[in-house]
Amino acid sequence: MSEPAAFRLSEDDLLDHYEQAPCAYCSCRPDGTLVHLNGTLLGWLGYPREELVGSTTLQELLTVGGRLHYEMHARPLLLLQGEVRELSYLLRHKDGRSRPVLLHARLLRDAAGQPLAIRATFFDITERHRYEQELRRTHALAQEKSEQLARANALLITQNEQLLRSTADLDNFVYMASHDLRQPINNMAGLFAELKRSATFTDPETRSMVRMFEASLQQAVNTIEGLAEVVQQQQQQELIPVEALPLHALAEETLGSLQLQLTAQQAEFTLDFAAAPTVRTTRPGLYSLLYNLFSNALKYAEPGRPARVAVRSARVAGTVVLTVQDNGRGLDLSQHGGELFQLFRRFHPEVAEGTGTGLYLVNRLMTQAGGRVEVESEVGQGTTFRLVWPQ
Amino acid sequence: MDALRRNNITVSGAGERTLVFVHGFGCDQGMWRLVAPAFEARYRVVLLDLVGAGSSDLTAYDPARYHSLDAHADDLLEVLRALDLPPVALIGHSVSAIIGVLAAIREPARFAGLVMLNPSPHYLNAPGYPGGFERADIEDLLEVMANNYLGWAAGFAPVVMGAPGQPALSQELAASFCRTTPAIARHFARVIFLGDHRADLPLLRTPTLIVQSAEDAIAPPAVGRYVQQQVAGSQLVVVPTTSHCAHLSAPQATIAALAPFLAALPMPTVPQLAVPQPA
Repeated sequence: MSEPAAFRLSEDDLLDHYEQAPCAYCSCRPDGTLVHLNGTLLGWLGYPREELVGSTTLQELLTVGGRLHYEMHARPLLLLQGEVRELSYLLRHKDGRSRPVLLHARLLRDAAGQPLAIRATFFDITERHRYEQELRRTHALAQEKSEQLARANALLITQNEQLLRSTADLDNFVYMASHDLRQPINNMAGLFAELKRSATFTDPETRSMVRMFEASLQQAVNTIEGLAEVVQQQQQQELIPVEALPLHALAEETLGSLQLQLTAQQAEFTLDFAAAPTVRTTRPGLYSLLYNLFSNALKYAEPGRPARVAVRSARVAGTVVLTVQDNGRGLDLSQHGGELFQLFRRFHPEVAEGTGTGLYLVNRLMTQAGGRVEVESEVGQGTTFRLVWPQ
Repeated sequence: MDALRRNNITVSGAGERTLVFVHGFGCDQGMWRLVAPAFEARYRVVLLDLVGAGSSDLTAYDPARYHSLDAHADDLLEVLRALDLPPVALIGHSVSAIIGVLAAIREPARFAGLVMLNPSPHYLNAPGYPGGFERADIEDLLEVMANNYLGWAAGFAPVVMGAPGQPALSQELAASFCRTTPAIARHFARVIFLGDHRADLPLLRTPTLIVQSAEDAIAPPAVGRYVQQQVAGSQLVVVPTTSHCAHLSAPQATIAALAPFLAALPMPTVPQLAVPQPA
C-alpha cells in the first residue's frame, strides 16, 4: 500500500490559490484603476485580462447604481477609515448578466501616509441575494399591511372617541331629563293630592278620570326613577371593584325584596347554582341584573297562570352562564328582537307598571362587564334569559 | 429644538471671518476633516450636519417638509440667523452646493461668497444638458441602497474594524454613517437625484467658485462647466483627482483651490460669536 500523496504548500500553490480562489480578488490604484485580477474574477467578468488592466476601474465593473454608491459611500469611507466591508453590489458580465456580490476592500498607504493601492475581494452571494430579495418583498408587504392596520386602527380610535362622547352626552342628557322632570312631577302629585282633598267631584265619570290620572302620574314617576337608576348604575359600575359573588345568597336577597309580589301572585322560584356557585362581577351590577330579570318574570306572568321561574347557573367554556327561565307571556322575537334592549321600548303596554328601562339596563350592565345577554321566547309559553360572563 | 442643535453646529478656528462647510449626501460634517482644519488659523470654521444626517435631529426629518432642497436651504438660513453673523463664505459639497445656491438667492446679504464643490443641478440627461444619468440608473442606485440597508433595517449596524492606529476615528465615522436611517437616506436620495435646479443658477448674484474634480462619476466635468456658464461671473478650478469627494481624495489641492478665492472675498470681521455654540 502506498502512502497518499502529501499536499505540500509551495509558492506555486499560493499563486494557484490566488488565481483559482473561491472568491474574486483584485488590486487597484487609489482611483480604482485595475492592476491585478485573479482568474476567478476574470471568469465572472468574461473579459480577457488585457482589456481590463490599466484601463478599467473597479467601480466600472459594477452596475451604474453600484458605481454611484461606490463613489458616494465606499470611496469616501475607504479614504477616511481605510476599509469597507459587506457592500452589496452587482458585478456585470460581458454577456450582460450580473452576479450579486459582497465587496470587502482595504486601502494601503505608503510610508508618507499617501493612498497607495486598494485590495478588494468579492464574494458571490447569488443564493443569499435571492433570499434577501424575497425578504425585502415580504418586508415591504408586511409594512404595507401594517400601515393599513394603523390606518384602520386610527379610524377605530376616532370612532371610539366619538362613541364615548355620544355615550357621555346621552348619560348627561338622561341625568338632566330625570333630574329636571322629577321636581315638576312631584309638584303635580302634591297639587293633585291637595286638589282631591279640597275639591268635590259630582260627575260620576270624574272618579274614573281621577284614577286614570293617578295611574299616569305613577307611570311618569316610575319612568323617572328608571332613568335615575340607569345613570346611577353607570356611575357605580365605573367605581366598584369586581369580586367573586355567591349567586345563591344574592338571589335570595333579591327575592326577599320582591316578597310582596311573590306572595300576591303565588309565584315560585327554583334556584340551582350547584354547577357555578359564584360569578365574578360587581355586587350592585349583579343585584340590578337579578332584580330586573326576577321582577320582569313576575310583571309579565301569563294572566291566570302563577309564575314558575327556574334560575340556574353553569360553567361553559370559560364563562359563567346564569339562566332565568319563566312561563310568562313571552314575546315574538322575530318582530321585537331588534328593539328588545332599547331604552323605553315596551312590548306589553297592557302591563301598567313597566318603564322600558329594565332590559336596557340588563344589556348595558352585561356589555360593560364584557359579557352578553341571550334570549329565547315563545308567545304564550315563556321567556328564557341567559347572562354570559367571561371569567 | 433650536437650529444650532438641530443641525449639530460645531464652531472652531481662531479667525474673525467665518467659513461654513456643508457636507453632501451620505456624509456628515466629518467629511471635512482633511480640509477644514487648514483654515482654522485664519477663519472661524462652522460645520453642520444636514437634518437627517450625522448627529442632526433625525426626528426633525419630516418627508413632507424635506420633499425639496428648499427645506435644507431654510435650515441653513435659520442657522446663519441664529449665529447672527455678517456675511459668511459657504463651502458646499455636491447637493449642499445647490442648497447654498438656494439660500444665497433667498438672502444674498448673508453670503460674501459661495464655493460649489463638485456640484450638479440636475443628474438626469436632458436635451442639451449632459447630466450623466438616465432615470433607470437612479432607480438602480436606490435598489443598491435598499440592498445595502437590508441589515440596517433590522437594527444591525455593520461592524467596522478600526483602522490601525486610529480606531476611535474610524468608529466615530462608521457610527456617523450608520446614523442615517434607511428611510431617510432613500427619501433624500430621491429628492437629490430626481430634482432639477438648473433654473436657479442664473438667479445667483453671490461671488462663486466652482471646484471640479478632473473626473467625477457623480458630477461630471461637463456639468461643472455648465454651472460656471450659468452663474454670472463665477470661476472654475479643476482639481486633479478622479473622485466625487475631492476634499477626501485630494485635500491639499482642494485647500489650494479654496484659499485664494476665500482670501479675496470682502468679508467683515467679527471678534466674538453673539450666540454661544451648543455643547
